[in-house]
Amino acid sequence: MTRRYVLGRLVQVVPTVAGILVIGFLLIHLAPGDPVLALAGENGDAAYYSFVRAKFGLDEPLANQLLTYCANVLGGDLGTSYTQGRPVLDIVVERLGATLLLTGTALVVSTAGGLALGLLAASRPRGGRDIAVTTMSLGLYAAPVFWVGQVSILVLALGTGWFPVSGMTTAGSDASGLAHAADVAHHLVLPVLVLAAQEIAAVARLTRAGLIDELGQDHIRTAWAKGAPPRIVLMKHALRRALLPVVTVIGGRVGHLVAGTVVVEAVFAWPGIGRLLVTALQARDTPIVLGVFFVVAFSVVLANLVTDLVYTRLDPRIRYR
Amino acid sequence: MRAPVMFRFGVEGQCLFRPPLILTTFPGDSGPGHRFANGGHDMGRLRWTAVGVVAVFLAAGCGSDDDPEVAGPTTDAGVTTTTGDDAPVTEGGTVVVAISSDPGQLNPAITTSGGVHTASELFFNGLVDLDENLEPVPELAESWEVEEDGALYRFNLREGVEWHDGTPFTAADVKYSFDEVLVQLHSRTKASVGAAIESIEVVDDLTVEFRFGQPYAPLLQQLNVTEAPIIPRHIYEGTDPMTNPANLEPVGTGPFRFVSYTTGSEIRMEKNPDYFEDGLPLLDEVVMRVIPEEGSRVVALEAGEVDWLFETPGPDLERLRSSGDFEFLETPVNPGGANCIMTVSFNLDRPIFGDVRLRRAIGHALDREQFLERVLFGQGAVAEAPISSGIPFAHGDVELPEFDVEEAERLLDEAGWVRDGDAIRTAQGVEGVEDGTSLAFDFLHFPTFTAYAELLRAQLREVGAEVTLEPLEPPVFAETVFTNRDFDTNIISYCNATDPEIGVRRMFTTANISTVPFSNAAAYRNPAVDALFDEAQATVETDDRAPIYQEIQEIVAEELPYLWIVETIAVRAYDADCTGFGPSGHFAETASCEQ
Repeated sequence: MTRRYVLGRLVQVVPTVAGILVIGFLLIHLAPGDPVLALAGENGDAAYYSFVRAKFGLDEPLANQLLTYCANVLGGDLGTSYTQGRPVLDIVVERLGATLLLTGTALVVSTAGGLALGLLAASRPRGGRDIAVTTMSLGLYAAPVFWVGQVSILVLALGTGWFPVSGMTTAGSDASGLAHAADVAHHLVLPVLVLAAQEIAAVARLTRAGLIDELGQDHIRTAWAKGAPPRIVLMKHALRRALLPVVTVIGGRVGHLVAGTVVVEAVFAWPGIGRLLVTALQARDTPIVLGVFFVVAFSVVLANLVTDLVYTRLDPRIRYR
Repeated sequence: MRAPVMFRFGVEGQCLFRPPLILTTFPGDSGPGHRFANGGHDMGRLRWTAVGVVAVFLAAGCGSDDDPEVAGPTTDAGVTTTTGDDAPVTEGGTVVVAISSDPGQLNPAITTSGGVHTASELFFNGLVDLDENLEPVPELAESWEVEEDGALYRFNLREGVEWHDGTPFTAADVKYSFDEVLVQLHSRTKASVGAAIESIEVVDDLTVEFRFGQPYAPLLQQLNVTEAPIIPRHIYEGTDPMTNPANLEPVGTGPFRFVSYTTGSEIRMEKNPDYFEDGLPLLDEVVMRVIPEEGSRVVALEAGEVDWLFETPGPDLERLRSSGDFEFLETPVNPGGANCIMTVSFNLDRPIFGDVRLRRAIGHALDREQFLERVLFGQGAVAEAPISSGIPFAHGDVELPEFDVEEAERLLDEAGWVRDGDAIRTAQGVEGVEDGTSLAFDFLHFPTFTAYAELLRAQLREVGAEVTLEPLEPPVFAETVFTNRDFDTNIISYCNATDPEIGVRRMFTTANISTVPFSNAAAYRNPAVDALFDEAQATVETDDRAPIYQEIQEIVAEELPYLWIVETIAVRAYDADCTGFGPSGHFAETASCEQ
């Protein structure tokens, strides 16, 4: 893997993200529904609407607006929110942490959990554990995130009182430092489980399939023949290669997690950018919408890049030119 | 190794490939790993197991709607004691309030957004407040004089009021708030006071005069914290009010002071110890939590995580009532406005609606009691006049079409819409409509009003009218109805507010047929009505205004440009350990909770 390759891929990020922004911009502006009406609300008169329109530059032709926007982005300015009057960058960065915490933890949990379940299933295919894991995976995969979220709140939060019902922190809490971290962690459990549910299923199935495949290979047979204990065979010899499909999919899984986070943030009142995006869309607050697109596109593209680079470590046979 | 090869193709670009979790192929099961393989039988058994699981989940998923009552008893993990409203008044404590959206900023003077106002009105005051009978009571203004028949209003301001940062409040703040902010940026004030005002003069530190070109009757109804909050001149003057950082750290004169605002999550405020109302507020702290999902808000109340909800969904009302842990407050103040009536509009510019008999027939075909029961779960009232009963002096004594299917059919026959058995009616000799045209029209509505739409369609089908429903998101609805005028009928929640000048006039006057949303949707043109509204606006005494509004309502009840269905209310729900809440605005000013 050459440095030139890495640089080349990094450069590729720019047109990808730019393309997403332009398409996003056009889609929002071509969608029905005048942003001025959303911004100015009811009860205004014609003069007020003209005033709002001019103030936000919405009376310019679309091409001009697009060019202005692109120029600003290149200069590092993601625009100013129509509804909040603040720089979009500030708003997005404020909320980004919560979403990163949620999706990051969900990614780790789903990967670790999926690997563990996949190992469990593959250790004895079509045995009792395998069937249990497979059944559970299919169930989690098929169940809609919204429903899983609501049921988990009703049963695990309201029903048993083990977990809080919503939010990232306890209302009016003054905790700081470790107490604050513990409070957040307590609130994090249910949203992460719900968000990770589908992904755990996916990873478990992938791992299981890869492992079973791998375990049929010659070098594994050699290891058995040499008397290696099952644990070593599974973990040291088979798992590393079986990890390949799991790692490859991480890029796409980050995308799925971001999509799922919109629903989870709504159900659990988690203050992240998913919820920000939905609110901004409803209010036709274009700068925020595009700002969120930018951040999400950038993250997913970056995740894919990292995945590709990690891939080569796992499988030395793969090289990039 | 088949699986990795498939994925390698996805490596270069975005990996949108979803791993195959379908029941057909399990790579590796029947592959070279024959050590464990056993072909057909086991796959079959597994497949049926999986099908069974999927079926169970589908059934469960389809059976539930927004609020699944599938699992979970409705136990309250929180409060178990109830005390009722004779609880002794205690000082101190914190109330946690659930709000449905993140306000984004906390300045209520630059916007009419319900989200911002709910979150920020506790920080500010208006000049004059309104009591339950909509009578003006002093707030920042201690007393006032109305002179020149309503062309001049003089307000004598309360002495010793301070902004939260200690600066004294003066008349200059009032002038600044109106001239530079409210009249420019607060759409309702701009359209009403802003259009009529001539000048605002600071007579001295505690006296301010409002001068109008002609007598302006409704001023005192438009000066509370919702319609005209006063903001600090010393912080905002010379800056752009829409981007001033104080919008995120508000400084006001109100009962509560700003503590912190975590965007998307919560707003914290503490008691203002120097508040000009002696002994108020009683609470130490109010925390507003952003919980976007309605179901989650109700669950949070039941779990004890929040103490107050601004609205309770109809289906949950029974359950919450019977638990005995909550008290309720009914009020006509919604997030969108006060005294709202669900109103069906006819597009009078379309020939099909030219005949009043058709409009009247449709009115007779609607069973409005059913709307109240089915859609509102009994919360609210059938509309009895074009102006809401929440404005007592203007609420008319008129006869709106009663539910009478026979009368509806008779009028339709008379108007030339003939019916063959149970079929949809067709035109026969209807002016402006070709013979043989079906009695079919569209009905536009917000997605949140789908229940009304479906009930209306069912009721009108009974009398042979075919209604096509068109749900549209609010910005699209506004554009289609008001900018493009591309609709036959629609339903709108027209909020009358606290005076007919604010919320009713815009529905009926010719001048208000415009592209501005929620103006005169029906395009009703009647010079007599226009003249009456002008007369009412210039008459200051409510006793003199009442007969004018009565006459207006008699005319429109005859001509039926609209059909008034139901008056809506909101039901606030709160922890039974608390008491003393108001309906809105400064709702927590007099509240207290047992600890």
